[in-house]
Amino acid sequence: MSSSSVVKITDVTKSFNGLKAVDELSFSIEKGIIYGLLGPNGAGKTTTIRMMMRMLYPDRGSIEILGQSLRDLKKDRIGYLPEERGLYRKMKVLDLLAFFGEVKSMKRRAARRSGSEWLERLGLAEVGQKKVEELSKGMQQKVQFISTILHEPDLVILDEPFSGLDPVNVNILMDIILEFHRKGHTVIFSTHMMDQVEKLCREICLINKGRKVLDGTLSDIKKEYGRNSISIRYAGDGSFLKDLPGVDSVNVYGNELFLRLREGADSKAILKEVSARLDVQKFEIAEPSIHDIFVDQVSSS
Amino acid sequence: MKALYVIKREYYESIRKKSFIISTILAPVLLLVIYAIPILTVFFVPGEQVSVAVLDRTGLIADDFVSSLTDTLKDGRPKYKTALPQPVSGDFDQLEAALIETIDNGALDVLIQIPEDVFESGKVDYISKDHFVEQVMDDMRGRINPVIISHRLAGEGMDYERVSRLTQRIELNEKKLTKGGVLENEELIGEFVLVVVFVMILYMTLLSWGMSVQRSIIEEKGSRVIEVMLSSVEPRDLFLGKIIGLGSLGLTQIAIWSLMMLAVTFSSSIAAAQYASYVRISPVEIIYFIVFFILGYLLYSSIFSIIGAVCTTEQDAQQLQSIVVFPMIIPIMLMFLVIQNPNSTLAVVLSLVPLFTPMLMLARVVISDPNSWQVGLSIVLLVVSIYGVILFSARVFRVGILMYGKRPGLKEIFRWFRYA
Repeated sequence: MSSSSVVKITDVTKSFNGLKAVDELSFSIEKGIIYGLLGPNGAGKTTTIRMMMRMLYPDRGSIEILGQSLRDLKKDRIGYLPEERGLYRKMKVLDLLAFFGEVKSMKRRAARRSGSEWLERLGLAEVGQKKVEELSKGMQQKVQFISTILHEPDLVILDEPFSGLDPVNVNILMDIILEFHRKGHTVIFSTHMMDQVEKLCREICLINKGRKVLDGTLSDIKKEYGRNSISIRYAGDGSFLKDLPGVDSVNVYGNELFLRLREGADSKAILKEVSARLDVQKFEIAEPSIHDIFVDQVSSS
Repeated sequence: MKALYVIKREYYESIRKKSFIISTILAPVLLLVIYAIPILTVFFVPGEQVSVAVLDRTGLIADDFVSSLTDTLKDGRPKYKTALPQPVSGDFDQLEAALIETIDNGALDVLIQIPEDVFESGKVDYISKDHFVEQVMDDMRGRINPVIISHRLAGEGMDYERVSRLTQRIELNEKKLTKGGVLENEELIGEFVLVVVFVMILYMTLLSWGMSVQRSIIEEKGSRVIEVMLSSVEPRDLFLGKIIGLGSLGLTQIAIWSLMMLAVTFSSSIAAAQYASYVRISPVEIIYFIVFFILGYLLYSSIFSIIGAVCTTEQDAQQLQSIVVFPMIIPIMLMFLVIQNPNSTLAVVLSLVPLFTPMLMLARVVISDPNSWQVGLSIVLLVVSIYGVILFSARVFRVGILMYGKRPGLKEIFRWFRYA
C-alpha cells in the first residue's frame, strides 16, 4: 500500500448479535481519487462507513483515516453525508449551516459566509432565512449536501448522495464533486447506482454480504471482463443467441444486447453466425458496463 | 469542547419556541389565580344572611342568646336574621311543627330548639334542611354555651364572669426556632404552604425538563439528524450538550419565575400582600431550590435520556416512562410525613436516598434546620449517583441513538453498556 493512503482498512470484522455485517474486509484508498464503495442493500457499506467515522467500533482489524488511527480520528477534516439524512427542521437554513460549520471547528462568521455562497451557487440564495421545514425535499437535499462540504473537508464520504434528486440537480452535485476532486480532495462514494460510478469513480471496491468481492481501478476491472464480452445492436429474433457455442450469459437492455463469453470462445464464429441470421447494426467486442459486472458478481457470489 | 455549540444551539432554538414562552408565563399566572381565588372570595364575597328562629321552652335563654348574635357580613348587614316566635296558648309542639314546615319550604334556614331540660341534658336541637355550615354551627354553639352556663352557675350562686375568668383554658403559643429567628403561630402555616408549593414546583419542573430531554432525543432520532451530528461531534458531546442545554433553559425558567415572585411580593395590591404574608421566601431557600433543581435535573434527565435513546417512538417511550416517573412520585407521597416531623430518623433516611433527595431534602431544609452534615452527605450521595447514572446512560446513548425499530429488553441494554 502506498503511503499516500487516505483510508486504510485492514481485516476489519464487525458482528451484530452474532451476524457478521462486515467480514475480514480490507481495502485502501489513495489520496485525491474518487472511490466507489459498491454493493447491494445490506452488503455492509453503511456499517463500514460508520466504523470509519468512529460511530461503531470494529470487533477486529484496524482502520486508519487520513494517516491517523481511529482513536485520533479528526472528524473536522471529513465530510460525511449519511444515507439516512436529517436536518434540524425548525432552524433557519443559514443558522443551521453556521451551526454545522461550528461543530466542524469553523468560525461562525466564516461558516455563515461560506454557507450563503454555496446557497447562491446552488440556486437557493433566497431560502437562507427560511426554516428548513418550509423547503421542498430537493432543496433540503441540497442544503444537506452543503452542510457536508461547507468546511472544505479533505475526505468526503457520500452515502447514496443522489437518491431522490432529479437529473438536473444530480448533474449540479456531480460537478461539485468533480470540482472537489480536481482540488485534490478525496471522495468516497457509496452507492448502488452504477451509471454514476461509471462516470465518477476511478477505483471501486465491491462488497457483498460483508466480504470484498473485487476491488481495483475501474479500467483494470473492465479490461479483465472486456476480453470476453460482446455488445450487439440488431433487428430480428435473437433468441438463438444464448444457445450459441461459447456464450455464457445474455443480458438484454431494450435495443442492445450484451453477451458474456466463456474462456476461449471464438468471437469471430459468433459474428459470422449473428450476421447470417440477424440484421446487425452494431457488433462490438466491448467493455462490460460496471452494472453488468456488479450484477454478475453479486448473483454469483 | 464541541458540546458548547450543541448547548448553544439547544438553548437558543428552544428558548424561542412558543411552548417555552407559554409555559414560563402561564404556569405562574395559573398558580397565582389558584391562590388568588380563595383570597379574593374571603375579601370580596359578602356571604349570605342566615335566618334563625329560636324556640325556647325554658323561656330563660332566648333573649340573651339572640342579643349575642351580633355578627355582620362583609357589607355590614347583620349575618343572622333572628326571630323569637311565641306559641299561641303555650302549644310549643304545634309551633315547632309549623317552624319545621317553614324550613321545609325554604323560608327559614335554621331552627334552634331549647328543650325544658336543657340545664340537665346540656343538649340543644339544631334543625335545618341544608344549613349545616361549620361556621354557623360554631357560632350557635359558642353563643348559647355561655348563656346556659351562666344560668347554671347562677343557680349555684356563682358569677359567670368570675368563673370563666378562673377556668380559662391554657393555649399553647407555638414559637418555632429557625435560621431566620423566631416564627409565631400564623407564620408556621405560611411556612407549611411554602414547603408544599416549593416541592411541587421542583417536582413539576424536574419532571417536565427531564421528559423534554427524552422527547428531544426521540425527535432527533426520528428526523435522523443524529447520524449527521455524529459525523462532527462525539456522542458524549451530543449527550452532554443536550442535557446541559435544556437544563440551562430550565434554570432560565426558574429565574424568570423567581423574578415574578419577587415582583408580586413587593407590589402593593391587597391580593399580593395577602399572598406575601403566606409565602415568605428567603434567598437561602431559593439557592437550595436551585441547587436541588440542578442536581435533581442531572439525575432524572440522564435517566430519561436512556429512555429516549432506546426508544424509536413516543408511544414506545410512554411505557418505560412510568417506571421512571414512579420513584419520582414516592417523595411527593412521603412529603407530608417529612414535613410533620422533619428530623425523625425516617425523614433523615428518606432524604438521603438520592432519588428522593431533591424533593425531600428541600422540604427539610425549608421547614427545619437539618444538621449540615446530613445536607452535605445527601448532596455527596446525589453527586455520586449522578456520576454513575451519567456514565451508564452516556454509554447506552451512544449505542441507542443509531438503533431503530424494536425496543431492546433490559438485558440488551446492559449488553450495550458493556460493549459501548
